[in-house]
Amino acid sequence: MSSAVDILIPQMATGDATSNHTRLIQELLEEKGIEVRIVVERKTRSGNAAIPIDKWRADGQVSILQHSIGSEVAQQVIRRKTPVVLNYHNITPSSFFDVWQPELAKSVARGRMQLGQLAALTVRGIADSEFNAQELRELGIEDVVVSPVLWQISSSAVQAGLSSDMASEDGGTVLFVGRLAPNKCQHDLIAAFAVLSRFRPQARLVLVGDASPPQYLQSLKSLARELGVYDQVVFTGKVSDKSLLQWYRKSDVFACASEHEGFGVPLVEAMAHGLPVVAYDAAAVAETVGNSGIVLRDKRPLTLAMALHRVLGDGQLNQCLRDRGIRSAQRFDISVTREQMWIALKDLLDAAA
Amino acid sequence: MPSPDLVDTERVSATIEAEAEKERRQDGKIAQLELTIEQTWADITPPEAVAGEGDGHLLDQAASLAALDPHVPIESRRGLRGVKWLIRKLTYWYIRFLTDQFNVFAGLLIRHLRSLEARLGHLEAAASQPDDHSDSTTLVCLDDPPEPSPTVVSRVAESAGSGPCLVLSGGEGAIVQAIGERGIRVRGVEQDPDRVLAGLRRGVDIRPGDAFAHLADADTGGFGTIVLTGFVEKLSLVDLQGVIDQASRTLMNPGRIIVVVADPANRSRVDTDLGSGLGISPITWRHLLERAGFDARLEPCPDSRIAEIVVAHRTAIPSVDSNPSQS
Repeated sequence: MSSAVDILIPQMATGDATSNHTRLIQELLEEKGIEVRIVVERKTRSGNAAIPIDKWRADGQVSILQHSIGSEVAQQVIRRKTPVVLNYHNITPSSFFDVWQPELAKSVARGRMQLGQLAALTVRGIADSEFNAQELRELGIEDVVVSPVLWQISSSAVQAGLSSDMASEDGGTVLFVGRLAPNKCQHDLIAAFAVLSRFRPQARLVLVGDASPPQYLQSLKSLARELGVYDQVVFTGKVSDKSLLQWYRKSDVFACASEHEGFGVPLVEAMAHGLPVVAYDAAAVAETVGNSGIVLRDKRPLTLAMALHRVLGDGQLNQCLRDRGIRSAQRFDISVTREQMWIALKDLLDAAA
Repeated sequence: MPSPDLVDTERVSATIEAEAEKERRQDGKIAQLELTIEQTWADITPPEAVAGEGDGHLLDQAASLAALDPHVPIESRRGLRGVKWLIRKLTYWYIRFLTDQFNVFAGLLIRHLRSLEARLGHLEAAASQPDDHSDSTTLVCLDDPPEPSPTVVSRVAESAGSGPCLVLSGGEGAIVQAIGERGIRVRGVEQDPDRVLAGLRRGVDIRPGDAFAHLADADTGGFGTIVLTGFVEKLSLVDLQGVIDQASRTLMNPGRIIVVVADPANRSRVDTDLGSGLGISPITWRHLLERAGFDARLEPCPDSRIAEIVVAHRTAIPSVDSNPSQS
């Protein structure tokens, strides 16, 4: 048996939360003097040093599987009956993609099926959130630890967060960051924005993120056009880290109508950048935001619009949410989450050694 | 001005939700705008993308089956690795090309079939509209019951147990407040936004929403006491049975249900006609709760519209195969 730790992930990509998380676990373990091998299904430019799954010998000290979609790496673990540490990031229900992207719907459905098969091989579940942990427990995995996604918030975030001027003279900028995907429900944000623009004609909505699937983006644009707010909605597409930082700085409130978030990295990024958060209470959203944002149980357009209007216009509430958000985001600071991840892995590594 | 740290975000959320609901009820234009937005989105998207449509439909199954996954399983083999790698790569790209073509074709075909189906659906709906009055039978014409009297409120508060308490419907928060003053963690749920706002002004934890839906969504064993009042006076026996089942599930063990309802027999002539078949008397509540495994008793509340409240204790979870008719 090799003394290395194998981390299995479908592919290493840039700008992907799970890939970044994997890189940071690799760094963490290597700092502790442990050799790490990244095993992938498909090689990419950013993961060139990785080992393809068909060359994986499954002889590592510990194997950590990053699971968020159906993959060949998960299939190999199942086929070889390899005990794994299951790092679970949740899987979006396929029903969100059935109509929009049947191929993706199949992949996520496959991921769910594999999750059930992986339960028997899991020596420990590591979940990003209590919401994800609960799913693992329901599958019969008893040893489950909650350890949030590792990622490095830009160091300038705190400085941006300290700025408390409410830039709502122009009506305010409402921001959402995330793939343009049916489960993220950007259409609900456009709907709410159409109502908000009646109270705040100069307001604008910024949707940062790549389109997946492209038809959904077309539908979002059509909706904005039909509702007469097309000129006030900005679709940025995928942006660089620098541009993302600028959008966080330029915006006045972060709005999230997503119906499925296993954790919600952009929510924490927004809080860290001192943006007040208004979000719909679904999946792990309330758990991630806590009492640092306005979490609604109803996301009909008027309700969401009134919440945004209130946060943009109520200085005291706005300041309170900014302050709490910055404090709350510290729970997910890399120094904290790295320690949590190390605690989650240490005894397994000691036992294997 | 209170310190920002004292801002209760849950209360702010509840206030916003209640104010939005009030606005919807008062301003028909806003309600219409929301409907228009919903309809616009439904028109733009494929029919099944809107929640509640097309579940388990033949076309959904066809769409699911028609999407091929090019990521075929690969195994590790010794020898001739380079050649195999090349063959596999070429085969993969060829299969991917074929599946992409197939998926585009199947997607197009299914999209057209869906469009055809939607048109047929609209035609069918238009053809059946003049004769369709089925919804009118479910209209509830009874007014919401008035707030309980101080006697009832204090009697309920005295009967509440020590665990977390849920009050359905919460009304303007009098019961919630009285229970809270006894140091018990309590929250109410109320559908009427005016009452929710009145409750929030009173400073109690009251949330806007449908009481039954809230109960159905609540965690199993999450509450020590559940107070049922208001909305249960407007439910049929079948729905009330559902409420008892859900309340039993949501209750801790031991736990208690307190029912605060007026006897339908004392309704005015008009309310008797309008509320025919809705609501049951406290004594019938006691009977149903006893059948559900509770130890129930009636407690009198003199000089009140609600003459008696039902306090039902559960000390042990009833056996699954026990015969309710024997209890």
